[in-house]
Amino acid sequence: MSTDADTDAERKKNKYHFDRHTPEYREHFEEITTEMLDKCPVAWSDTYGGHWVAAGHDEVFALARSAEYLSNDHDVNNERKGYKGITIPTPDVEFQGGFLEMDPPAQRHYRQALNPYLSPAAVARWTPVVDELVRACLNEHIETGRIDFVDHLANVVPAVLTLAMLGVPLKNWSLYCEAVHASVYTRHDSPEIERVRADQMTMFRDMFGQMTEIKANPRPGMIDALVRAEINGKTPPDMELLGVIALVIGGGFDTTTALTAHSLEWLSEHPAQRERLSRERDTLLDPATEEFLRFFTPAPGDARTISADCEIAGTQFKEGERLWLSWAMSNRDPSVFPHPNEIDLARTGNRHHSFGLGLHRCIGSNVARMVFKRMLTDVLDRIPDFRCDPAGAVHYETIGVIQGMQHLPATFTPGPRIGDGLDQTIARMQVICDEQRLAEPVTVRKASAEITD
Amino acid sequence: MKVHVDPERCQGHTLCSMIAPDVFQLDDIDGHSTAVFDGDVPVDLEAKATEAARSCPEQAIVIS
Repeated sequence: MSTDADTDAERKKNKYHFDRHTPEYREHFEEITTEMLDKCPVAWSDTYGGHWVAAGHDEVFALARSAEYLSNDHDVNNERKGYKGITIPTPDVEFQGGFLEMDPPAQRHYRQALNPYLSPAAVARWTPVVDELVRACLNEHIETGRIDFVDHLANVVPAVLTLAMLGVPLKNWSLYCEAVHASVYTRHDSPEIERVRADQMTMFRDMFGQMTEIKANPRPGMIDALVRAEINGKTPPDMELLGVIALVIGGGFDTTTALTAHSLEWLSEHPAQRERLSRERDTLLDPATEEFLRFFTPAPGDARTISADCEIAGTQFKEGERLWLSWAMSNRDPSVFPHPNEIDLARTGNRHHSFGLGLHRCIGSNVARMVFKRMLTDVLDRIPDFRCDPAGAVHYETIGVIQGMQHLPATFTPGPRIGDGLDQTIARMQVICDEQRLAEPVTVRKASAEITD
Repeated sequence: MKVHVDPERCQGHTLCSMIAPDVFQLDDIDGHSTAVFDGDVPVDLEAKATEAARSCPEQAIVIS
């Protein structure tokens, strides 16, 4: 006679001890990925209270798109089923991570409010502003022949642009920038953690202040859309809105930084490929961007909770079980990507999962691509012979949350400044944002930014 | 060759219009894709349309 225990053992027979938060996972990522793809594309792991891990491309595809059986809900006040959202393990301080930790219809209402700020047409309007910011970042260092691609470029531009789109004063960028990055790369047992938490509190206070101001005196931007949105027919509480703003900031900052840093590091190590990309950029920039996204997968995965008993991709799941969808590992599946552990700048059929899948597709994907391409192109044009210094490069110790970099110093043949430095440019962009009301949704303002002196 | 974007599957990844901008158009507001041609895709665009279908992360493009 079979018992529940027998059935459970049968369901969980593919076991793999999976701990993506250890430095060993980062060091052995390719071996672990190859082994899981080969032996257990869906596995049960005993770590963090036990959870499923999906690594196979077909399996992740089938699971991520089964919205009727999966929940993103993070029920921090225990008002529904107590589900724990998209992070494994559950953080010490529980905080709902915006609409990425919600299910429809609320999730859909939020996306509908923000889509007109983040669609391809909406994002394209910002390209001239991004070009000014990138140029200013390089101006600060181009005469010296030395730059840190993370600290001086890839941290700066995504942060300033995200604040501009939200409707937060651009000059506040540094207050937000370090707080966000440090909260990702600082370990909870580090002596730095107190300072990092204090910086985060300062950021949240500013965010709350901006939200209160915008409620009272409307000004264009995503915060304005959020404070005036009706979610399930009512105005959401402030804490929920702060979670949404924090999601936009968290999504907008560290991820694009991570993609840019890793790509520049790789191009420094492969100068012939770098020259080819620069020369053939008209045809190669798009596929190369997708290939960097696939290979470096800045956001390596998301958790879900199974919301009803089901069988998907050959595995039986029970309501309440936790599941890790690994975009990073599914992006290395040889059944979809020939030579998956090599970068092929011209790869075709590149249906990678780096922006997730299904109704939670990264809402900022169009921003990420645009900003990455503008930063990369300007680097290739102005400092084409850059050499990253491997001794100074600092990768995040673990890649469980973001596959990021903390520093990436480089040297190059010095060149001339073109125009202003960063502070003057940020001040000038603020005037342009205000005068042209650039942060309006695309439904209100269709025209691209015009750069004036 | 005809192409159709399944609106239930498309999530606005935009790879199709990146690869075949003459075959797919994106909505200004949410970036979701629709096919430009109701009827047959011009022969010289067929290869790009096929590559777009192969590259769609949601497998939302139906070729017939």
